[in-house]
Amino acid sequence: MAWREKLAWLAIAGMLIGYVPFFYLFGREAAAGGPSMGRFLLLLGIASAVRVAIEIGGRLVLMLRLGAQAREPADERDRAIAARSSSFAYLALLAGMIVVGMFMPFSQQGIAIVNAALFAIVAAELIRCLAIVLSYRLGWQ
Amino acid sequence: MSGRRLTNSLRVLRFHAGEMTQAELGEKIGVTRQTVAAIEQGKYSPTLETAFRIADVFGVGLDEVFRWAEE
Repeated sequence: MAWREKLAWLAIAGMLIGYVPFFYLFGREAAAGGPSMGRFLLLLGIASAVRVAIEIGGRLVLMLRLGAQAREPADERDRAIAARSSSFAYLALLAGMIVVGMFMPFSQQGIAIVNAALFAIVAAELIRCLAIVLSYRLGWQ
Repeated sequence: MSGRRLTNSLRVLRFHAGEMTQAELGEKIGVTRQTVAAIEQGKYSPTLETAFRIADVFGVGLDEVFRWAEE
């Protein structure tokens, strides 16, 4: 498995473990009247810390186990896959930002808008990582 | 160009070059072992520059490394 595919898997794991519980809890509390700003920031802080810990910890373990592979610079295939994956993520982020910035302000406010923006960012990053994995697996370039 | 796909003779050329490994070939042409494997499996079409580098390593023409095959 290519080094950058391993990093993409790690990022996917970090995001799923960190942010799925966050969005689930936020959704549940929003249905019951909405969390306070303090509660929202606490949940977000925990989710982000979990994600960062998984990514940094996982990367350190991988670097210790696969030192030579980790030091290899990106080659033309890595760069092609990164570019294509980023273009998919850009489209997803663009769509998300249109919803958050142009539609939500007319019907929502405060934390709901911030949370939707966060969701768009996480979704775009998830799409980028999934596109990387699929490109390495299926030869998508 | 529909109905045709690009194939390559990398595996055979590596064999005739003293069982050159994918990692060795990758080092000579400036890509990773995984990328050489992807090229060999037809999962990645290299840039023209890399294609010429591959042909150069084996001392053959480009058309002896890559060719079109009917689907």
